[in-house]
Amino acid sequence: METPNYDNEFDAIVVGAGLAGSAAALTMASQDLDVLVLERGQSPGTKNVFGGVLYTPTVRELVDVDDAPLQRYVAEKRYGMLTETDETAVTMRPGEWLQEPHNDSYTVLRGSFDEWFAEQAVDAGATLLTETTVTDLVREGDREDGRVVGVETDRPDGTIRAPVVVVAEGANSLVSEGAGLRDHHDREDVAVAAKEVLQFDRDTIEERFHLDGDQGVAYNYFGEGAVGDAVGGGFIYTNKRTVSVGVAYSIEDAAAGRQNPQDTLDAFKQHPAVAPLVRGGRTVEYSAHAIPEGGIDAVPDLVSDGALLAGDAAGLVLNNGVHLEGTNMAVESGYRAGRAVAAAVDDGRVDDRALATYPEALAESFVVRNLQHYDFFQELAVDDREFLFSELPRALADAETEYFAVDREPKEAHAEAAKDRLLDATGGYVGAAKRAWKYRKLLS
Amino acid sequence: MSTTTDSQPLPDVPDVENASTEDRLYADKYTDHDESHLGVKVPGFCVEKCDTGDCVSVCPADVWRRDGDDEVPTIAYENCLECGSCRFACPHNNVTWEYPERGAGVSYKYG
Repeated sequence: METPNYDNEFDAIVVGAGLAGSAAALTMASQDLDVLVLERGQSPGTKNVFGGVLYTPTVRELVDVDDAPLQRYVAEKRYGMLTETDETAVTMRPGEWLQEPHNDSYTVLRGSFDEWFAEQAVDAGATLLTETTVTDLVREGDREDGRVVGVETDRPDGTIRAPVVVVAEGANSLVSEGAGLRDHHDREDVAVAAKEVLQFDRDTIEERFHLDGDQGVAYNYFGEGAVGDAVGGGFIYTNKRTVSVGVAYSIEDAAAGRQNPQDTLDAFKQHPAVAPLVRGGRTVEYSAHAIPEGGIDAVPDLVSDGALLAGDAAGLVLNNGVHLEGTNMAVESGYRAGRAVAAAVDDGRVDDRALATYPEALAESFVVRNLQHYDFFQELAVDDREFLFSELPRALADAETEYFAVDREPKEAHAEAAKDRLLDATGGYVGAAKRAWKYRKLLS
Repeated sequence: MSTTTDSQPLPDVPDVENASTEDRLYADKYTDHDESHLGVKVPGFCVEKCDTGDCVSVCPADVWRRDGDDEVPTIAYENCLECGSCRFACPHNNVTWEYPERGAGVSYKYG
């Protein structure tokens, strides 16, 4: 087969047609750069996995979201704290979420969404090559400290050179590690996620989750009933005709507790509060993914001479226990990287100083600002794990069981016992106040 | 006061009939590739240094299997979901991992 020549034909190469890569490609192509996107999957999305809810403010800036293959908008959120047998939950359905633009929160399946998003980049003028794996970066003069001038691929004429490379290869960042753009993640900083897509008919989903039309739910679960002794959680998201159910928890804990993802997923699905929601579905896909959750400290230098990191490859994921975000940060980082490259190419130089507008812009954006603000959380969650994931869910379940106990005792006695149970778990009023102080930044 | 963790299963909780790992993987689409994209760097490390088998614990697809603490794991690479967790999990940094070539390996339809 005739292979067209891609070498030295483009202003920029993007590694990976995920959300960060396509956002970068779309942004650059829109500013008249010749962009080549290399995707290892058979089509964009086929190697990609998330929960998932996509938050679309940045996507909306770049493309017409009304044309996007969205599943359902998030009409209801639920945070459920699980012991092995109990659930204590907060559910919310603000009226505003029912109205356009639905708080920019939609369930999405990556197979269709990423393919569509990559098409938007192609429509803007980018060239997409699928089934093409980038195996390494090419450096000037083959020197380790030479600037990045292209990529090695598994195509017949493997080397493709271009002045700039945006590496958006995802969480399992083999290329950026191999090329010395980032270190190997510590396993304390990475979560393993396993997810099943379960097929139902639309009516079953809408009846079971009390949904009308395009409404959907995003349920997040914590505590030992969700992921056993590990730090992490479980989730349920409704799509049009499928439900995504999964678990995600620290690889360190998976290893230390010999806690396997399939068993953890099985137990979560069988939880008394979860089983009625997921029973009876046909498994149409089983997937897994690693999630870089090291926070701001684990984010590497985002630019070097001729190369930029974006999305999961740059560790841009937020998990503060309440907000679980990554794909929106991927899109924003790709967009910011793309703008920086376009400006640098315009100026005719793409060294790290010319590309520095990317980390500067990202530092001012919600991406880095949120990571910095919630930087305290991961460490706190690990230090306080016994309380957060075990003692607190149990104390709440005990207290509510006590408080609402129906018998012939006066209610006062039950209320007193419920209060004692909660204070016992939190370390009295002083302990409760100390904890409230420690976690205050979650609300500020 | 009642306790919240009874060992007895609760009544009226529907059985969700979880699929086996094999059946779950059967739902996925794969394109075959002949050579394993996974391996161990130094088999001796698995034998001499490793008594935890973290690759086995963390793998969501039963790719890594091990009969005993002094064994080199077997690798059913064709089941791999390409999450990369084994690579992060190995405390001896002894996992080799390459992306399967030219679109081979798992292809997610939903994702």
